[in-house]
Amino acid sequence: MSGSVQSRAAQQGFGRRGPNLGAPTEKPRAGRQTLRRLLGYFRPERKYVIYLAFSVVLAVSAGVIAPRLQSSVIDDLVARDFSAIPPLLGMMLCVYIINGIATLLQGFLSARLGQRVIFRLRAELFGKVINLPIPYLDNHSHGDLMSRMTNDAENVSNVISSSLSSLFSGVLTLVGTVIMMLSYSVRLTLLTCVTVVLSLIVTNVLSRLMRRYYLSRQVLLGQLNGIVEEKVSAGKTVAAYNLQEATIRDFAATSDALTRAGIIADVIGNAMGPLMNMINNLSFVIVAAFGAWFALRGMISVGVISAFIIYSKQFSRPINELAQLYGQIQTAVAGAERIFSVLDEESEDKSGDNALPVHEGIIEFKHVNFSYVPGKQVIYDFNLRVEAGKKIALVGSTGSGKTTVVNLLMRFYELDSGSITVDGVDIRDISCDVLRDAVGIVLQDSVLFTDTVRSNLKYADRTISDKKMIEAAESSNCDKVVAALPDGYDTVLTAAGASLSQGQRQLLTIGRAFLSYPKILILDEATSSVDTRTEKHIQNAMIKLMKDRTSLIIAHRLSTIRDADEIVVMEQGHIIETGTHEELLNRKGDYYRLYMTQFAGQET
Amino acid sequence: MKNLLKYLKKYWFSALLAAGFMVAEVYVDLYQPRMMQRIVDEGILGVSSGGVSNLDLVVSTGVRMLLVVIAGGLCGIGSGLFANITGQNYGNDIRKACFEKIMHLSFEQTDRFSTGSLITRITNDVTQLQQLVMQMIRGFVRCLMFFVGGTAALVSLDLSFGAIVACAFPLILIDIIFVVWRTNPLFTVLQESLDRLNGVIQENVAGIRVVKAFVQEKREQERFGEANRQLVDTQFNVQVMLSFLRPVMNIVLNLAVVGILYVGSVQVRQGSVAPGMVMAAITYISQILNGMMMLAMIFQTLSRGMASARRLGEVLDTGAAIVRDGTLSPAADGQKGSVSFRGVCFAYAANGRNVLHDINLDIASGETLAIIGSTGCGKTTLVNLIPRFYDVTAGQVLVDGTDVRAWEPEALREKVTICLQKSELFSTTIRDNIALGRPDATQAEIEEAAKAAQADGFIRQQPQGYDTPVAERGMSLSGGQRQRVAIARALLKRGEILIFDDSTSALDLKTEAKLYEALSRSYADVTKIIIAQRIASVQNADRIVVLDGGTIAACGTHRELMAASPIYRDIYDSQLREEATA
Repeated sequence: MSGSVQSRAAQQGFGRRGPNLGAPTEKPRAGRQTLRRLLGYFRPERKYVIYLAFSVVLAVSAGVIAPRLQSSVIDDLVARDFSAIPPLLGMMLCVYIINGIATLLQGFLSARLGQRVIFRLRAELFGKVINLPIPYLDNHSHGDLMSRMTNDAENVSNVISSSLSSLFSGVLTLVGTVIMMLSYSVRLTLLTCVTVVLSLIVTNVLSRLMRRYYLSRQVLLGQLNGIVEEKVSAGKTVAAYNLQEATIRDFAATSDALTRAGIIADVIGNAMGPLMNMINNLSFVIVAAFGAWFALRGMISVGVISAFIIYSKQFSRPINELAQLYGQIQTAVAGAERIFSVLDEESEDKSGDNALPVHEGIIEFKHVNFSYVPGKQVIYDFNLRVEAGKKIALVGSTGSGKTTVVNLLMRFYELDSGSITVDGVDIRDISCDVLRDAVGIVLQDSVLFTDTVRSNLKYADRTISDKKMIEAAESSNCDKVVAALPDGYDTVLTAAGASLSQGQRQLLTIGRAFLSYPKILILDEATSSVDTRTEKHIQNAMIKLMKDRTSLIIAHRLSTIRDADEIVVMEQGHIIETGTHEELLNRKGDYYRLYMTQFAGQET
Repeated sequence: MKNLLKYLKKYWFSALLAAGFMVAEVYVDLYQPRMMQRIVDEGILGVSSGGVSNLDLVVSTGVRMLLVVIAGGLCGIGSGLFANITGQNYGNDIRKACFEKIMHLSFEQTDRFSTGSLITRITNDVTQLQQLVMQMIRGFVRCLMFFVGGTAALVSLDLSFGAIVACAFPLILIDIIFVVWRTNPLFTVLQESLDRLNGVIQENVAGIRVVKAFVQEKREQERFGEANRQLVDTQFNVQVMLSFLRPVMNIVLNLAVVGILYVGSVQVRQGSVAPGMVMAAITYISQILNGMMMLAMIFQTLSRGMASARRLGEVLDTGAAIVRDGTLSPAADGQKGSVSFRGVCFAYAANGRNVLHDINLDIASGETLAIIGSTGCGKTTLVNLIPRFYDVTAGQVLVDGTDVRAWEPEALREKVTICLQKSELFSTTIRDNIALGRPDATQAEIEEAAKAAQADGFIRQQPQGYDTPVAERGMSLSGGQRQRVAIARALLKRGEILIFDDSTSALDLKTEAKLYEALSRSYADVTKIIIAQRIASVQNADRIVVLDGGTIAACGTHRELMAASPIYRDIYDSQLREEATA
């Protein structure tokens, strides 16, 4: 059912890309729309919403009726009509128990409802993020995206699970209480309302003041976290440059400023409680004094005073709560807005024919032009044909566009013009999933997942047998890494393999690519942190493995690429030379110069 | 733990004031039902004056109540003020102390805590502790006052009312204890599930290319689904447990009200109690029980705060593994830039396995020494001993003839410049990143270092040149560019010993060759220790050390090693095939 909500929301089509342009005051821009959309998530939970509403109504009515009974008891006490009291007390008992049970139910239902909604919202968001096109992830800070999935979702979750039912019950209580109060005495009700106006004014003034100081505190907190994050994770650099004392001073200054701002902000924030308490007490005074005065005139009974004391409390509590809720809801709606702006992003275009499996692995780049940012072209008229089963090496200085070429083949980015074909079919006509399944890639950053070594190696396909996994581990030389781990293949890599060295991680990622049995293999600086002797072992294995596979290799080390069938030398997005190692050496061009710097002085 | 209390001592006076004001505020709240009772019983009903009501008494008591209420409000604000002064300054002191401690921890200790955990400790945990202190000062005093004062006031009205509270009390206590007992372990689970969820998100955002390349979006969604399910279920359990607190307490509270009304009706009939007193008693009982409810909340803050206090205590109580008691500062005429290893052994405390065995090596002033060896053979560990990032397990590391442990740490690190494997840039301008070790460097000096590091060219192409800000730990620059900025930074510092820990790995060969050329030209008198993977990077060094399995397998010039060291030859062969040499 959730699908219908999603598509409906998408059809509304508001808030295209809304990058986080500061927006420090947590004020939603299109609050009403966002709220409506957020409420849309409750649609599939109609059953729970109805039950919840029912329990809230029950709890509130019981809560509103009880003081009325109590008031009758007091009046009977004053009138010394003792025989009427026990049945009234019995009724009170029932009403209170109903109230208790209904409140319990309310807590249970709102928790369930909230968690169900937030589960779906989070899952939907994650599903979106993982299907976003790579350029989106390049252009948006990962920290920001993370905070949308954690902080914002958390805020929304809190508000949904707790605030919504209190909002509902608050409004109901307010209405019920006012009706009750009016039925007793219009005058006393109006007097009590004075305190409401007062508390609204106080809340308004204080929250405006608070917002200013909270903002400056938020900024300082961000700075402080920045210092900690940066300086603690770069501990060695800090130590190597003797910056410890300066950093400590820097931290202390920010920390002190934060404390000053924090004290001001929180003193104002904490004043809310006593001030509200004061206003509550004021209403107590009003009820006691004016009530007494009215009672003396015979306009009301003493029991009414007792009832009013409770009602005026019942009355001011939801008002205070609503004032607080307003702030919370605003924050949540602002959070929801940020979540929705991600949800409204276009997903990666994965379309294409699924029935086009790659058979041989002939790759052809035809007049490919590409730029990450419009106007800053990085690949110029790139033409290259790779025959099936051949090994092609891309060589060139940093920033010459080697990684970009590989990224284009993976359909991570859309071309500006030209085409890339695999086995004669344009990759835009092959579904991303089919294409990527056929291509094994080992990336520059060795990304591993917090899971067992086994799951990491079998990442492409969990159904692969252990025997095949061990074979692949042996041929990629990562069996030695695994052997050194405490539980072998069952070792859980903590913190995404942070405990392993860069070289060890690269070996595991190579093993992982081996196990995906690709038709086309891409190695992007895959062995840069592996020492050359180990690399040689891997290469030997790779030669075996690459026998029938087309492969593209990017490396700085010429030793890695010398065996290639063809070497492509790139410079600033252009191909400047192609040929085999020997051909290029004999040509004495750029490749030759690169080669000579690598082994300079070796001839002498 | 004791350590943490020590920090509170400084603020005892404001803590006392906060508590005092809180007592006054609660007192006012407790005083009010009393005055209302006077209004009802004496003013309206005229209980003691034989049924004659007294309007003047109503008005004057009303005015008094008003004044008292205002005084109470002011006391409340005062209490908030002093509680904040106490709590936030206390938190600030702890935060600063922790940060200072962290800055002086050895890297082994930092590794053990993990950077992420240290960051949460210094941010979240300090906030939790701060909350705890404020809660204890204000909330605890408030509850206690409501409880003790309310009970006293209630009993002073009539003893039988006290009996009703005495009955309600254990029920509420059981409720609180039950809920706290059941939810406390859940909080830990909650934190874990949250960590797990965040972990999955983090990995996926960072590793999105791998996920996409292996077409594992579905599987990752399943993995996320599991974590999401676990979190949601735990959260649900916590909320359900917590939702027991209020309704049960409300039922007990209201039962007590019914009890008071019943007992009151009996007493009023006997004439020992006036109706106003029954009304006052009802107000008191709700105050007492509300106080207890708050106590339950405080218990939660307490258990969370105690966990944070423990985590902070762990940091503060960690003894410095590297004793910084060296005092030697460099003599003006002393030798500059020699390093010696004497029988050095090293093992990381975490696993106890020796990473380095009996290393003996003398590096002369001005020498260029290269270190080569396979992944994990101890190269980085070896050079990390020179600036004393770690202390040796056995043996000695000498810089300029003196044990590194005898040097004043700052003086030692002034002499030794290390350029790390991972170039860590800070989020300021490129200029400030280069001038990190020498903030007073002139533009000319900065440019000179950048030119030698082959960085000047690309820096000038940046939108604001040297003033271009470096975003998010240098992510706006490519790997090679980051490394060159880090190298420029190291060169500018002009240490006597310069260590490159595989810090040119992302440079292409041309650039690297130019860098080494500039190094040997302009930094000839500096002792250079270079770790590298490529033979080309090391073969021009004065000497090359071949490290294998934590021991020195061979040492000599390129030519000597080619002749004498099979490992070196093996490395050489792996990079250059026979026909190319011919």
